[in-house]
Amino acid sequence: MRTKLLAAGGALILSLGALLSPAAAHHSFSAEFDGSKPARLIGRITKVEWTNPHSYFYVDVKNSRGEIVNWACEGGGPGALSRRGWKKGDVKIGDQLVVDGYLAKDGSHTIDARRVTLPDGRSIYGGTPGDGGPGDGDVKNK
Amino acid sequence: MTALLQVCAWIHDLPWATAIRESEITFPALETVHVLSLGLMVGTIAIVDLRLLGVVLRHEPVARIAAPLLPATWIGFGLMLSTGGLLFAAEATDMYANPAFRLKLLLLGLAGLNMLVFHFTSYSRRVRWGSEVSPPVGARIAAAASLTLWTGVIIMGRAIAYFHHHG
Repeated sequence: MRTKLLAAGGALILSLGALLSPAAAHHSFSAEFDGSKPARLIGRITKVEWTNPHSYFYVDVKNSRGEIVNWACEGGGPGALSRRGWKKGDVKIGDQLVVDGYLAKDGSHTIDARRVTLPDGRSIYGGTPGDGGPGDGDVKNK
Repeated sequence: MTALLQVCAWIHDLPWATAIRESEITFPALETVHVLSLGLMVGTIAIVDLRLLGVVLRHEPVARIAAPLLPATWIGFGLMLSTGGLLFAAEATDMYANPAFRLKLLLLGLAGLNMLVFHFTSYSRRVRWGSEVSPPVGARIAAAASLTLWTGVIIMGRAIAYFHHHG
């Protein structure tokens, strides 16, 4: 009886641990984004949120009908981006960004900014470390 | 805009809250301490709860387990509250609208209430039953409620990330 209870307790702790384990990631890639919907956005920055647990870059993008749509591009937090060479203040309102990423599952104008080409030509991996999305785990990107 | 949302927006925009939100190291360091202190606090609480339920240390008097663990519980509580408060401040406006955060606060309140009720009812009479393998039903209900509520708090804490939407 006691052994069984302890085993059950152990299993509960392990499952809680599994739930908590992607500690480096705020949430997994697949919770919000669709890996089968890649997209490229080219647009001018309207707003920057250099914030934890994710950074956001808002860009105005012209769609196929010629209308301007504002997109939210979600990237890693300030620590992750800085380690890859993208420092606070590297981009300004009005700068052009090229964002390669994956669209949100909910159909909103939100994209997971997997790779971002900055105005100076540098191409930076924008994903959140440990989120399990495309390109995560590539040592060069850490 | 409700008064509560206004207060959250005011906290969100405080210079030190903004500094944490935009930090490279501080925010993840606070998250790390928050989760580690959770282990200290809820871990020690769980040992007492499991004793009350007759699962572990069945032949030890309850007070002999609870008393020496209490300082660790309070240290864990202090670290959780302070790091949690700073993390909340950094994202106060987002947390206001986050259903998982709201449910977490509700469960935290219920866990605290459960602890208070137990402390002033069954536990105050522990001299009479503290050495028994199976404590009175009131104490066992309090222990089961404590384990359930704290588990709920942890799950809701993790779930905050999944209701985190930016607009």
